[in-house]
Amino acid sequence: MSLLLDLALVAWLLALALYVTSARGDRDAIVAFIAFGLLLGLGWTRIAALDVALTEAAIGGGVTGMLLLRAEAHLRKRKPGGPSKGVVGKAVTAVACVMVTVGLMLVVLAFPSPAPTLAPAAAAALPATGLGNPVTAVLLAYRALDTLLEKVVLILALIGVWSLAPDGLWGGAPRLRPALVPEPLAYLAQMLPPFGVLIAVYMCWVGADAPGGTFQAGTVLAAMWLLVMLAGLSPEPETRGKALRLTLIAGPALFVAIGFLGFAMAGGFLSYPESIAKPLIVGIEAALTLSIAATLGLLVAGPAQMASGR
Amino acid sequence: MVAAVAEILTGVALFILAVTALGLFRVLRAEFAVERMMAVQLLGTGGAAAILLLGAASGTGAMSDVALLLVLFAAFSCSAFALGQASPNVDGSERPEDGA
Repeated sequence: MSLLLDLALVAWLLALALYVTSARGDRDAIVAFIAFGLLLGLGWTRIAALDVALTEAAIGGGVTGMLLLRAEAHLRKRKPGGPSKGVVGKAVTAVACVMVTVGLMLVVLAFPSPAPTLAPAAAAALPATGLGNPVTAVLLAYRALDTLLEKVVLILALIGVWSLAPDGLWGGAPRLRPALVPEPLAYLAQMLPPFGVLIAVYMCWVGADAPGGTFQAGTVLAAMWLLVMLAGLSPEPETRGKALRLTLIAGPALFVAIGFLGFAMAGGFLSYPESIAKPLIVGIEAALTLSIAATLGLLVAGPAQMASGR
Repeated sequence: MVAAVAEILTGVALFILAVTALGLFRVLRAEFAVERMMAVQLLGTGGAAAILLLGAASGTGAMSDVALLLVLFAAFSCSAFALGQASPNVDGSERPEDGA
């Protein structure tokens, strides 16, 4: 029965992917792509990668969809009628995508069996970190440097988005709210965020011992913030605000600070003393969650579109 | 006994997914854009049900967290659609506003 379910899931994923690429309009493709992200989240649970499933549902089924819908609305506004790519452009894209897929398939088939793995070593060292979730241990202890750089890249991406603002609007607020907020949206934006914030706090806390963690929690918070801004219940923040900018860098800054403290306390950059490893990791995670939420929210909100009211 | 129950739960999950998939492709081909957006809502509900059943079948408690996030983001994505929906009226002025 399990095998049948897996085969059916693969077939549906492929069918949905084909639908995404062949959809009539851009917006139809995006809607199907959001559905694809949610279904892919289910797919990840089938190979017991629950942390990835959570991230896929949050990013693929949530924030990316909103980013794409926003970009599509923006483009439609600019060029009514929307000239799409020519046949040659589409063919080249299709060929390139097929080549990447075939290449990945060949790589996967060429894996040695049994595959070389560091999983036993990661599990064996788990007690030293005080954590119960090996994925969190990899992200925040064994490979903490990668995670740190990843968070810095997120901020660089935000700076890239902000720099698209015209000179006159620099430091102003992005514009997310439509001129006419539909009634159901305002209702949803009042009902959903309390649950969302609770789920985010839970995700962040549970990440130490079970699937979940800072990125998923940050994404949930970002989504709730976007929802409130979208419904006009809270104004979009000015990008030059001191508090906002401090929130953005607080997480990575704390991460770096604790990393340097590692020289004094445990003899190396980003190494934690064993006795307080868990409190340090949970502290970093909490600060990172807020920074990720602010960064992702502002990434989707886009560059400033309203002059700052100084 | 436990294995038999797990088999049945997996079977039910498969059934729910099959029904959801059929509904999904029907809804995606709907006439109105808002109806097509309901595909996401449908997959959020159906997917969450399947994940909960599979989680019960495999005894993995954390699966319910995935189901939770699936439902949350399905609802969120539907709201995101309002944004794309409202802009032609506001900026493109293709249709006159009905002044609501």
